[in-house]
Amino acid sequence: MSTSPLSSEKNLEAMRHFSETYAQRTGTFFCLDLGVTAVVIEGLAKNKEELGAPLCPCRHYEDKAAEVSAAYWNCPCVPMRERKECHCMLFLPPENAFAGPRQDISLAEIRSHQL
Amino acid sequence: MSVVADVTDATFKQEVLESQLPVLVDFWAPWCGPCRMVAPVVDEIAQEYAGQFKVLKLNTDDNPATASQYGIRSIPTLMIFKGGQQVDMVQGAVPKTNLASTLDKHLQ
Repeated sequence: MSTSPLSSEKNLEAMRHFSETYAQRTGTFFCLDLGVTAVVIEGLAKNKEELGAPLCPCRHYEDKAAEVSAAYWNCPCVPMRERKECHCMLFLPPENAFAGPRQDISLAEIRSHQL
Repeated sequence: MSVVADVTDATFKQEVLESQLPVLVDFWAPWCGPCRMVAPVVDEIAQEYAGQFKVLKLNTDDNPATASQYGIRSIPTLMIFKGGQQVDMVQGAVPKTNLASTLDKHLQ
């Protein structure tokens, strides 16, 4: 169950900044639909706040605390670091059909897409 | 707004496993970006396959027992059930044509 509807501003800003920097560093791009980007960044921030690490929000886990310790699905996850595979569609290679032109997103844009 | 009804841990047996029609279940989570992309596709499929398929969605955060029982890992996962058995699945934000061709395989 969700406990806090929104992550704290601090964690949200941390994950927003990480996402921009990591996209630029890896030559990947945000989704054409920035709503996808916004929701994933918010999910990462929420997990960072509740679990202490930005566990991928596009997976189902039997035990979230154990997954955080295992670190495999902490963002950037092992498949992203090794093969640039992000099934959450946060970091898309330019040839991906859903890749947009952006490597930046503002807090206002993230907030505007909240559920 | 989605036209697809929710199914829960409590109603899964009755709504999915005991359904007379084959069932498509969209396993999704609130903070999953690709789930937002696949939801409108699932909505359209629900309308186009009305009477042939029952289409439902399950929030994996709120219904972890069912998600775990069917081994859900990557989200979104779309699963097809027929006669109480899981018979097929597709993962990720798939195009509508892919999903439709998967459903067509399971129509009588």
